[in-house]
Amino acid sequence: MKSVKNIQKITKAMKMVAASKLRAIQTKAENSRGLWQPFTALLGDLPSADVKKNVVVTISSDKGLCGGINSTSVKISKGLHKLNSGPEKETKYVILGEKAKAQLVRDSKKDIELIITELQKNPLNYTQVSVLADEILKNVEYDALRIVFNKFHSVVSFVPTVSTVLSPEIVEREAESGGKLGDLDSYEVEGGETKGEILQNLAEFQFSCVMFNAVLENACSEQGARMSAMDSSSRNAGDMLDRLTLTYNRSP
Amino acid sequence: MHPRPPTPSSIPPKLTVNFVLPYASELSTKEVDMVIVPATTGQMGVLPGHVATIAELKPGVLSVHEGSETTKYFVSSGFVFIHANSFADIIAVEAVPLDQIDANLVQKGLADFTQKLSSATTELEKAEAQIGIDVHSALNSALTG
Repeated sequence: MKSVKNIQKITKAMKMVAASKLRAIQTKAENSRGLWQPFTALLGDLPSADVKKNVVVTISSDKGLCGGINSTSVKISKGLHKLNSGPEKETKYVILGEKAKAQLVRDSKKDIELIITELQKNPLNYTQVSVLADEILKNVEYDALRIVFNKFHSVVSFVPTVSTVLSPEIVEREAESGGKLGDLDSYEVEGGETKGEILQNLAEFQFSCVMFNAVLENACSEQGARMSAMDSSSRNAGDMLDRLTLTYNRSP
Repeated sequence: MHPRPPTPSSIPPKLTVNFVLPYASELSTKEVDMVIVPATTGQMGVLPGHVATIAELKPGVLSVHEGSETTKYFVSSGFVFIHANSFADIIAVEAVPLDQIDANLVQKGLADFTQKLSSATTELEKAEAQIGIDVHSALNSALTG
């Protein structure tokens, strides 16, 4: 009984800690939401783009005890992999966070390009994420980057989301074929040597902005999920303690 | 995300500006008369009805003109998208209002980087020092100009 009571105390404390961390990160995440919207207004979000080289960037947490959010991210990443496999097509993984690494290393070891952990050692900031984005872009060949993360809607609701960033060549291809991106040609591109150079910079900037927002949202979802997980375990511990106390008092 | 209005047939009276930074949305669907952005090709004035453009920004002063008042920010770098429906999206990595910049630190920084450039050996060091000089001289001219 003593151990159950201790567990209840610990989980209650963990819930408080998660609540305070959540409050700190939530404002940051909400402020960063405006960052990717101009890109979507210009280039649209085309998850259905059919490309040869897919890279799935899975964002997860390093610490556990946060409910099911990491498993949902991994499930979606595996689903994307299956969706995009076929002749001449390949899908690679870039993994951020220990939890996704543990799950994906088991069956998809050969498809993993990069693994990055200990993301939250220092508080999340844009400089750190842009360096990360730089590393990924340098080391991985891609036609489309699909970033899988949990979007934070409220303390009890986190929705797994996929954001798609296309490489400049694919953007050109989609623009020529018309559809949502068809207006892109009507935009004058100022400066630089060639239009391609500016679009390349644009794609890289877009990737770092989308990553920044994704990482913050995932961190919020992690704290929120931990809060509800710890809350339910405190309640379970309380129930268990009551039952045990009754049994203890009843026995002679 | 809210969908954008389609291109109107006549030029609208005001420009709608979204100015976003990684850690905040500085201006969000604000209606203004004109903005001047520091594009790589020079200071570019944007009025309602401007032709659709994508431009990369270099370190410089961004000024927002609304009626008779002007707000000036120093922007480190970023992109500006001007859409055909008189919407302008400015995405900057860092931006500070001009009155928050300390002139002495700017001078010191400029001197530091000039010195680093002369003592730089590798291409990377030279490039980093050159970037420092560009940003600090832009800061300098922003404060004086």
